[in-house]
Amino acid sequence: MEQERKGVVSSGMYTYNHHSDSGFDIHEIFVKTSRSRVLLSYIGVVFLLANVCQPLLSKEGLSSSSVWSITFGILVAKCLQYKPVKKESVVIMPTFGVQLEIHFWSGKVHRRFVPIGKILKPLLNECVTPVTCYWSLALLLRDEEELMLVFQKSHPPVKMLVPVWKALCKFLNSEYLANSSVSKPECPEHD
Amino acid sequence: MDGQERKHRILMVSDFFFPNFGGVESHIYYLSQCLLKLGHKVVVMTHAYGKRSGVRYVTGGLKVYYVPWKPFLMQNTLPTLFLTFPIVRAILIREKISVVHGHQAFSTLCHEALMHARTMGYKVVFTDHSLYGFADAGSIHMNKVLQFTLADIDQAICVSHTSKENTVLRSGISPQKVFMVPNAVDTAMFTPSPERLSCDEIVIVVISRLVYRKGADLLVEVIPEVCRLFPKVRFIVGGDGPKRVRLEEMREKFSLQDRVEMLGAVPHAQVRSVLISGHIFLNSSLTEAFCIAILEAASCGLLTVSTRVGGVPEVLPDDMIVLAQPAPEDMVQAVKKAIDMLPGIDPQLMHLRMKKLYSWDDVAKRTEIVYDRAMQSPKTDLLERLPRYLTCGAWAGKLFCLVMIINYLLWCLLEYLQPTEGIEEVPDIGPIHAHLESVDDLCETQGN
Repeated sequence: MEQERKGVVSSGMYTYNHHSDSGFDIHEIFVKTSRSRVLLSYIGVVFLLANVCQPLLSKEGLSSSSVWSITFGILVAKCLQYKPVKKESVVIMPTFGVQLEIHFWSGKVHRRFVPIGKILKPLLNECVTPVTCYWSLALLLRDEEELMLVFQKSHPPVKMLVPVWKALCKFLNSEYLANSSVSKPECPEHD
Repeated sequence: MDGQERKHRILMVSDFFFPNFGGVESHIYYLSQCLLKLGHKVVVMTHAYGKRSGVRYVTGGLKVYYVPWKPFLMQNTLPTLFLTFPIVRAILIREKISVVHGHQAFSTLCHEALMHARTMGYKVVFTDHSLYGFADAGSIHMNKVLQFTLADIDQAICVSHTSKENTVLRSGISPQKVFMVPNAVDTAMFTPSPERLSCDEIVIVVISRLVYRKGADLLVEVIPEVCRLFPKVRFIVGGDGPKRVRLEEMREKFSLQDRVEMLGAVPHAQVRSVLISGHIFLNSSLTEAFCIAILEAASCGLLTVSTRVGGVPEVLPDDMIVLAQPAPEDMVQAVKKAIDMLPGIDPQLMHLRMKKLYSWDDVAKRTEIVYDRAMQSPKTDLLERLPRYLTCGAWAGKLFCLVMIINYLLWCLLEYLQPTEGIEEVPDIGPIHAHLESVDDLCETQGN
């Protein structure tokens, strides 16, 4: 298991880490969330559960105030679908494809694999919302209408996105080269 | 003078831009293209048009931000006063803008962006493209908004001397701050027909929106009279609007179906082909700050007959245009005079003269001078700027001061929530060429 550290860049909320591990190229973006925020989010969930259970357990029956508190509780639950993200990583597997992972503080990991044949091109895209404008890295996929975001939960700065984009481009070009040399055996040998 | 060779980074703001077609839209587009040729950096900000939202690049590497604020009335963004501040601030910082240039008094996005830019300390320039009245309720409110924006502007631009007078009277701004830079026409696109049309049958072309402001009612009176007096004359009417019905009725009433051809809405790309099929261009507008349409007609070699309103007398030399009062009898006399003048008109000569008189490059150079002057104006802070708003009126002045103070506090809040260092600057992308290093590597390996 050879691990090779290639670079670490840190800026504001995000830290970028690039290393390779037994042939796989791994790019990681760590999100700095303070411990207290994580704790607060768990406490918030507990309060929410208590708020919802209290009218049900008090055996008063469904009055308008309890309906309100349940509705409010559901709305807050929706907002609190804030699962704190620990890191997002991109694992480039030569000749196979790219694996996009989201690691949460709760220990859960969400993984998506994109086979090499599906990816047309990686893009650095400027996204404009009604209040702001930011860079994002997305994959253009074959036969799909929507772009796939590489970093779904975080908005790292563009200086951290550029090395990931370059690595993805290099990976795709090397695959293209390998395929074109395989598909053209009758080409004269160049010396 | 050589010290002012530095290049500006300009943000053009308006609600009106491509894919809409019109005078303001083409002005912004052509001016931006010519400024890019002069070496400046230009970015355009407008609202989203349907699904067209986000960042787009148009010809020449001109970057356009289609901000996803939905238009609510006549292509204007909903006036929220403060809600556009975050996106305007983000764009100003990431593009490293030095001058903000707003267009058209009727555009709410323009007024808001200029207000925010001013609060943040950027230099602002405003161009007014239209004439407005003073008496009706809509004009009074519009003029008040204009007063607010122009109270603290660095420089203003108007498209004709009449428009300058109108803007100065409406807003109370000092005339020294107002420059006059006329519009121009793309003479490469509007060229005359290679063969001269025969003078057996005289064709009069009308292309305009068929609305009250553009004098469609005058047309309804003039066309039958001209057809009666001059049997050789035929009309081609292009354009659409609420008054089209009146023109169709006029055609029916006087049985002019074979002498008046109604084309409907003419796409911008086909305007030239409609113009070169005629000898005379008739413009019956009741108000015009400049009128690019008659420039296009003159560039195509047509003799123009127009109402003497607004800035129209300033546009063309006397031998290329016949002016009349906006009354049917005068216009008929003017058409008669034009028909008599027709044998002496050479379309090619006219086109060459227009090429020398009007060009967008000239407009861009003159606008550059305005930007240089704007950059020289001194830096002011909030306390120095507030008294300028108090001159706007007894109650309005205090209200405007309050709005600017709230805007300033909002700016401080945004600086705290999203510090300037967190907004990354965008690299300048030049004209599109292959810049992927891996593509170069690919070419090298294939060539080996």
